[in-house]
Amino acid sequence: MSAAATNIAAAAEAGPFESWLASGAEGLPAIPWLTAARGTARARIQGQDAPTSKSEGWRYTGLRALIEQQFRPVDEPVSAMVPDDIEDLLVPDLDAHRVVLVNGHFAPSLSSLGTLPRGARVGGLRETLAQDPDALEGLLTAIAGEGAHVFTSLNTAGMNDGLVLLLERGVALERPVELVHVSVGMDDPRVAQPRHVVGLADGAQATLIERYVGLGESLYCTNVVIELALGRHAILKHRRVQLEGPQGYHLSGLYLSQGASSRYEGVNVGLGGAWARTDLVTRFRGEHAECDLAGLYLAGDKQLVDYHMDVNHGLPNCISRENFKGILHGKGRAVFDGLVYVARDAQKTDAAMSNRNLILSPSAEVDTKPQLEIYADDVKCSHGTTVGQIEPEMLFYLRSRGISAAVARRMLCLGFAGEIIDALGNDALQQHVADEVGGRLEAPPA
Amino acid sequence: MLSVKGLKANVDHKEILKGLDLEIGPGEVHAIMGPNGSGKSTFAHVLSGREGYEVTGGSVTFDGRDLLELEPEERARLGLFLAFQYPVELPGVNNTYFLKAALNAIRKSRGEEELDAVSFMRLMKEKLKILHLDDSLLKRPVNFGFSGGEKKRNEIFQMALLEPKLAILDETDSGLDIDALRIVADGVNALRSPERSMIVVTHYQRLLDYIQPDYVQVLASGRIIRSGGKELALELEERGYGWVVDEAAA
Repeated sequence: MSAAATNIAAAAEAGPFESWLASGAEGLPAIPWLTAARGTARARIQGQDAPTSKSEGWRYTGLRALIEQQFRPVDEPVSAMVPDDIEDLLVPDLDAHRVVLVNGHFAPSLSSLGTLPRGARVGGLRETLAQDPDALEGLLTAIAGEGAHVFTSLNTAGMNDGLVLLLERGVALERPVELVHVSVGMDDPRVAQPRHVVGLADGAQATLIERYVGLGESLYCTNVVIELALGRHAILKHRRVQLEGPQGYHLSGLYLSQGASSRYEGVNVGLGGAWARTDLVTRFRGEHAECDLAGLYLAGDKQLVDYHMDVNHGLPNCISRENFKGILHGKGRAVFDGLVYVARDAQKTDAAMSNRNLILSPSAEVDTKPQLEIYADDVKCSHGTTVGQIEPEMLFYLRSRGISAAVARRMLCLGFAGEIIDALGNDALQQHVADEVGGRLEAPPA
Repeated sequence: MLSVKGLKANVDHKEILKGLDLEIGPGEVHAIMGPNGSGKSTFAHVLSGREGYEVTGGSVTFDGRDLLELEPEERARLGLFLAFQYPVELPGVNNTYFLKAALNAIRKSRGEEELDAVSFMRLMKEKLKILHLDDSLLKRPVNFGFSGGEKKRNEIFQMALLEPKLAILDETDSGLDIDALRIVADGVNALRSPERSMIVVTHYQRLLDYIQPDYVQVLASGRIIRSGGKELALELEERGYGWVVDEAAA
């Protein structure tokens, strides 16, 4: 029996994710509350089988190929990289406090934090915990808890670095914070498990741009978890752009806890990777909070993109929006599963959910499932789903003006996506995303 | 310039054009009039290459080329332009971006250089004035949320920008009040030239008070049944279409 086969057999005995747990737990300082939470997560994983297509959350999103890769953690930071190596991965003209992570590890030499105002803390998770062991107590692992599924537990057990963004009461950052997560191929399939913590105290305001990119075309996995806590009247504009490499697996769990009258504006863009799954989980801690989740996804040949949302209105008077648009071409596949739960006491809830899809090829597929569970009787809730094709009249109109069919199709797709791209609210980022969307759609003949 | 011989076309397996003949020379303006359902819009669409129209016979030659074998964009690049009866709204597609793509596609096919941003803006502003259109139109999505009059003016604005050899105006007067009609007609008249031919498709004589045709063609039951000068339009206005149809049948 080969070494690899032995590994797989051993892994099957110890559970499907044994290779993921091979090390990593030592990467962070030993702080009692954190060590306890990580131990609990590890125990939870070891008692579990991998989810199958029989579990509702994974019905259309197969895990077999991912598990068979037997990903191993990245224990050591990649130290050999210089800023020139990532030059091509940066967004031109994007002015931001930039934090770069490589394979899950904070890379100070590639980052450019610039000057931060008093009361703002931006840096790596490991260094933050080393400097100030209690700075993240009540946030890190506390917001996500058990999480949406086993991959959150895997991250909790295996994390060894990430981004920390903490703003004290009333602090407003003028420039966005940009997190660039770069995946660099290794000799064997590796999983990076960055863990980010964002804490905005009462009245604090920030824009966070989170980008995931792959260098080269290697096979790897990113399993990121981000925990966000917004205080009263805090405002976070959060832009997330997933542009993993063509063979990349991407798992992303976002856990958001919103205080009274806080406002969260999230725009999720999913364009890259071979297989990508995102879970967005929102809980309200106070009334009159507003959570706005927008998204744009694009999938072509050999691509699956899956967005799961879980917005729980446990309190009255909160507002939530889910507005996702998808473009499917080639043999691309997408899954949208949006759940809005309104508890009996959550009167005056205002919730709207929309998922619109544009299908460009007969081989593309989308499974969309908007769910509203409403137990209160005085609420305003709506949902709508569409799956359509490019209108022939629109295409003809453009062609009748001399524009080729391929370019016309691309213009109409960008027009469809425009609403979400505009919501990014940053010219440089909008241009970047529009270029990426355009470039990924069928190239026009020369 | 345009030579149509015995053109037959079906829509949904029903024959709409039944042997249409028409010759148009350079610089000529032809009005095509006819009762509802006579095939006027079908003819306009077949010329522009819209899908869903099956040509079953005859030929169309445009500038020496077999028009019917060309894609819609190829026809446009050769200098054919259709002003739509119902201009299509394109939400999210910026008007400037659209116009630039169209103009540069056409310029490129003529072997001309693409226009740079400054020259393009200058050209657009000059053409906007002809149609009494506001600059703000350029920032909006194509036809999206435009009033009926704005949509029609935007069609003629595009025609001014793309400078076609043959423009087909499909019921451009429909839905316009008298002021909007005058602006559109003035725009069209400003574009008349010895090299530019036009087909003005209309149900009513009203438009022809403003755009004076060289010839009036009466289309009924899929054929041109009568040709004449502009005085024919006035006669049709007075007496209706019945007598022409009857005479043609006799």
